[in-house]
Amino acid sequence: MGSRNHHSMSADLLVLSILAGVAVLFSLGVLVSKDNFYSSLFMSVTLIFVAAVYALLNLQPVFVLIVFIFVGAIGIVTVALAATYRSEPERQVSRFWIVPVVITAFIISFSIYSYALFNPQSVSPTEIEFELMNFLPITEYLVLIIFLISLVVLLLLSVLKIGIGGRS
Amino acid sequence: MATLDILSVSVIYAASFAILLVGYLAAMSSKDVIRLLISLEMMFGAVFMALIPLFSIAHLANAAFGIAIITIFASSGELLILISAIVILDRQKRDIHTSAITIGGDRV
Repeated sequence: MGSRNHHSMSADLLVLSILAGVAVLFSLGVLVSKDNFYSSLFMSVTLIFVAAVYALLNLQPVFVLIVFIFVGAIGIVTVALAATYRSEPERQVSRFWIVPVVITAFIISFSIYSYALFNPQSVSPTEIEFELMNFLPITEYLVLIIFLISLVVLLLLSVLKIGIGGRS
Repeated sequence: MATLDILSVSVIYAASFAILLVGYLAAMSSKDVIRLLISLEMMFGAVFMALIPLFSIAHLANAAFGIAIITIFASSGELLILISAIVILDRQKRDIHTSAITIGGDRV
């Protein structure tokens, strides 16, 4: 039984590594491709693979949110924009940017180190499903979501106002 | 969700860091605002990936879902604003290259 658990753990890790690796490969495609259209397509596929990691870990609500809202709405608009404005930009990378890259690497390695250090208690599969089921009826979160949506609408209206003002 | 061991967490964080790095590089090498938009979406993708280990901590699982929802909505809102800004930029300047933007930002 223990051996079977071990095998399923390693299979999970293998699938996780494949998904993450494919996501990173597609993200490299964004950098390598000189055409905006193909870059945006690679970006959408990268995000779908990131969402697939959520699906692998049985977090379907987040998977649906990322795929429907982020890739489905924003990603498709980006693909449409990129298909309209296709161009071939030249490279310009300054070595100065190595500093923020090193800082980010340090922060991420520290989070991995602290995860190992504090060894947080893990969740059983039933527990997290129960908590996710109970999440949506909480009124505070619903109010928060409505607030966020109205904020987005207000921001868009202000942008529209700027656009109309700029045109006239 | 399945229990995450340190190896899985490392894989997730490493992939997240790699995608973030590619997003940075794409943003730095971008000459037009469309590529900038694409690189920003990549960076948000890296953020979504970095959120995953939060779900494996028992007392943070509920909060992690809230954080994920807020991140997805906030980033979508930001990108919608950027898309509107690109359309306005094209309408006003007839150009979408970053060199056309003369007000605000920093010169690298």
